[in-house]
Amino acid sequence: MTTPTTPGIRKAVIVGGNRIPFARTGGAYAHSSNQDMLTAALDGLVARFGLAGEQIGEVAAGAVLKHSRDFNLTREAVLGSALAATTPAYDLQQACATGMEAVIGLSNKIKLGQIDSAIAGGVDSASDAPISVSEGLRAILLDLNRAKTTGQKLKTLSRIRPKDLSPDAPSTGEPRTGLSMGEHQALTTAQWKISREAQDELALASHKNLAAAYDRNFFDDLLTPFRGLSRDSNLRADSSMEKLAKLKPVFGKSLGDAATMTAGNSTPLTDGASTVLLASEAWAAARELPILADVVDGEAGAVDFVHGKDGLLMAPAFAVPRLLARNGLTLADFDYFEIHEAFAGTVLSTLAAWEDEEFGITRLGLDGAFGSIDRSKLNVNGSSLAAGHPFAATGGRLIATLAKMLHERGQVDGRPARGLISVCAAGGQGVVAILEAR
Amino acid sequence: MTAETLLTEMPSLSKLYVNAAATAAKSRLVRAEPVLALPARAIEVRGVSADLAKVTEFAHLMGEPARDVLPSGYLHAFVFPVAMSVMVQEDFPLPLLGMIHLRNDVEHLAPVLFSDELSVRAWARDLTGHRSGTQVQIVAEIHNADGTELLWRGVSTYLAKGVFLPGLDKPTTAAARVDFIPPAPTAQWRLGVDTGRAYAAVSGDFNPIHLSVLSAKALGLRRSIAHGMYAAARVLATVPQSKPDTFYWDIAFDSPMFLPATVSLEVVDHRTDDGAWLSSVFTAWDARTARKYFNGSVSAGRSVID
Repeated sequence: MTTPTTPGIRKAVIVGGNRIPFARTGGAYAHSSNQDMLTAALDGLVARFGLAGEQIGEVAAGAVLKHSRDFNLTREAVLGSALAATTPAYDLQQACATGMEAVIGLSNKIKLGQIDSAIAGGVDSASDAPISVSEGLRAILLDLNRAKTTGQKLKTLSRIRPKDLSPDAPSTGEPRTGLSMGEHQALTTAQWKISREAQDELALASHKNLAAAYDRNFFDDLLTPFRGLSRDSNLRADSSMEKLAKLKPVFGKSLGDAATMTAGNSTPLTDGASTVLLASEAWAAARELPILADVVDGEAGAVDFVHGKDGLLMAPAFAVPRLLARNGLTLADFDYFEIHEAFAGTVLSTLAAWEDEEFGITRLGLDGAFGSIDRSKLNVNGSSLAAGHPFAATGGRLIATLAKMLHERGQVDGRPARGLISVCAAGGQGVVAILEAR
Repeated sequence: MTAETLLTEMPSLSKLYVNAAATAAKSRLVRAEPVLALPARAIEVRGVSADLAKVTEFAHLMGEPARDVLPSGYLHAFVFPVAMSVMVQEDFPLPLLGMIHLRNDVEHLAPVLFSDELSVRAWARDLTGHRSGTQVQIVAEIHNADGTELLWRGVSTYLAKGVFLPGLDKPTTAAARVDFIPPAPTAQWRLGVDTGRAYAAVSGDFNPIHLSVLSAKALGLRRSIAHGMYAAARVLATVPQSKPDTFYWDIAFDSPMFLPATVSLEVVDHRTDDGAWLSSVFTAWDARTARKYFNGSVSAGRSVID
C-alpha cells in the first residue's frame, strides 16, 4: 500500500520586491488601469530577477476597487508578462490587507511544499475606479436581457426613470455604518485622546524618513519608474510642523474642537502597484537569487466595530498580541515595526491601546499593558502618510521594504534582525506578520 | 537620400487629408503630363515625442496593458503624418486618396519609450507596376533625438488601383490564386461598425473609408472598412505576450474587412526546445465566408532583409 508523502514544513523566504512609485489620484496614473500598473510592477520584478520564461508556482494579487471585467486581473497580468504562460494565478481581496494576505497565503503554500516559488502583489487605482450603473437600471437591463418579445422589451425599457441613469461611484464608506473610514478613525482617535500635534509629528516623520530613504537610494532595487514618476508623488520632503498645523480638520468635524484629523495626517487616495518574489530556500539558491528575509508567521484579525465596541481600524491591536504570544515573543524582541499609516491616528491609537493597562487586562486578557515600542524603530523609511496608500498595493510595499531593511541589518545580539508588520483594513479587519533577516 | 524637407512640427493629419483631396481635384484639372518618378527627398521632423494620453487609449483599445514602452501599432500611427506628407507632395506620382494598403514590414531595433525625444524621417521608394495599378513603398524611420541611433523602421506598401504609369514594368499574369482553406481558429474578433471610428480616434487616421458607410461610399466602397493597422496592432497586442527588445513583423492584406465583421484568427507560435519564443505566424479570415483577410509573422531578433 502506498501513502502520500508530503514534504512537511520548510521555510518561505523573500527574495525581493518591485513596485511602481505611488501617485496621487488624478496624477501621473490618472488613465492607467489596474492591469497597466500591475503589469508594470510585474515586468520590473521579472526583469530584476531574470524570471523571463520562468514558470512560477503561483501568482496571487488583487485590487480593492476592481472592474467586473477584471475578474482574472492577476492571470491577465501574468499572460501579459514575460513569465511562462504556464504560471497559474488567482485574484484575492481583503481590502487594505490584500497584499499582506497574498504574501502569507503563498508563503504557507511554499512552507507546505505545494509550490517552490510565488509572486504576491496588489494594485489599486482610485483614479480609474469602476463606476456602476444604478441598482434600478441594473435590474431593468437584466430583465431586458430575459425579455423575449419586442412588446416585453419595450415594456421593460419603459420602466427606466431619470434617477436610474445616475451612476454609482465606489466610496470608502462602511456599508453597515455609512461612515467613511476617516470618520470611523476620527471616533477612535478621539477615544484614545490622540493629540493633533502627535498626529502631525508622525506625518512629518513619515515624509522626512521616506525622503531620506530616497536620497540614500534605498528604493533603487525596490522600484521601477512608471509614467515618468520615479518617486511617490505624495512625498513632501519640505513638509514642516508649521505647514501641517495650518491644515483644517477634514474628519470628525462633528467633534468640534476635538477634531484633529487633517489632509496632512491622513493618507490620500493613491494609485499604484507592488509585487514581492517569494521562494523556498532551494529555489532561490538554484537561481543564485538573494534571500532577504524569512516569512516567519502571520495572523489575521477582526473587531466588532459596527456598534462602536472597537474602532474600525483596531483589529491589529488584537492580532499582534496573539501572533507574538504564539511565537513566544514580546514587542521588545523586534528591531523594526512597520505599522501601516492609514491615518496617523490609527498608528497612535494602536500604540496607545498596547500601552493601556486596562485594555491589556480587559480586552487582551493579559496581566497588564501589552507593551510599548521604541519609536525610533517605527516606520524608519517612511510609510503610507508620505508614500500614499493604493489599498491592495500597500502590503507588498511594506513586505519588500522591511525585508530589505532586515537583510541590511543582519544580526542583532546574536539573532537575526526581526520586524513586525501591521496593516489595518476596511470591515474592521487587519493582517499582521513577522519577518526575520537572512 | 541627400535632399530633404525638414518640418518644424508633426504635421496635422486632418490638414493632410484636406490637402490630398485638393491635390486630387487640382491634378485632374491641371496636370497635363503624369509624374513618372518619386520625389527624391525625405521628409523629416525632429524633437517629437509621443502623446501619453493617446498611447494609453491606443493600448487599451487593443486590449493590452499600457506600458512605458510604445506599442508597435502606436509607432506606426505616430510616424503616419510624416509618411503621409511624403504622399501629398505636389510631385508625388500617385493619388493618396483611395490608395490600398497592401502590406507592412516593421522592425524594432530598440524599445521606444513614451518619454523619448525622437526624430521621424520618411521617404518613398520602389515605384513599380502591379497587375491592377501601381504600387509604392513608404519607408518611415524613428531615430533618437540626435539621429544617431535607428530605433524603429516601418515599410508600408500601397497600391494605387487603376493608375498605370507609362514605362513601369508590370507583371503580365496575376499571381496564381491559391484556394484558402481556413485552419481551426485560435481567436475570434467581433468588430462593430464603430471599429474604424474608434481606431481613428486613437491613431489620428481619419481616412473617410474607415469612418462611416456614407464616407466610404463617397470613395467607391460599399461599406466602411477596418484600418489594416488596427488589425496589425491588435494581433501585436498579444503576439508575443511580452515583447523582446528587438523583433520584426510583417502583415499582408488580402481583402478589406468590411464592417461589421467577425474575424477568425489563427496564431501559431514557434519556440526553442526550452520554450523560449522565436516567432509566430498568423492568419485571419472572415468567419462566415472564409475569405482571407490577412496573414503575417512576428519574429524575435533582427530582420535579415532590408
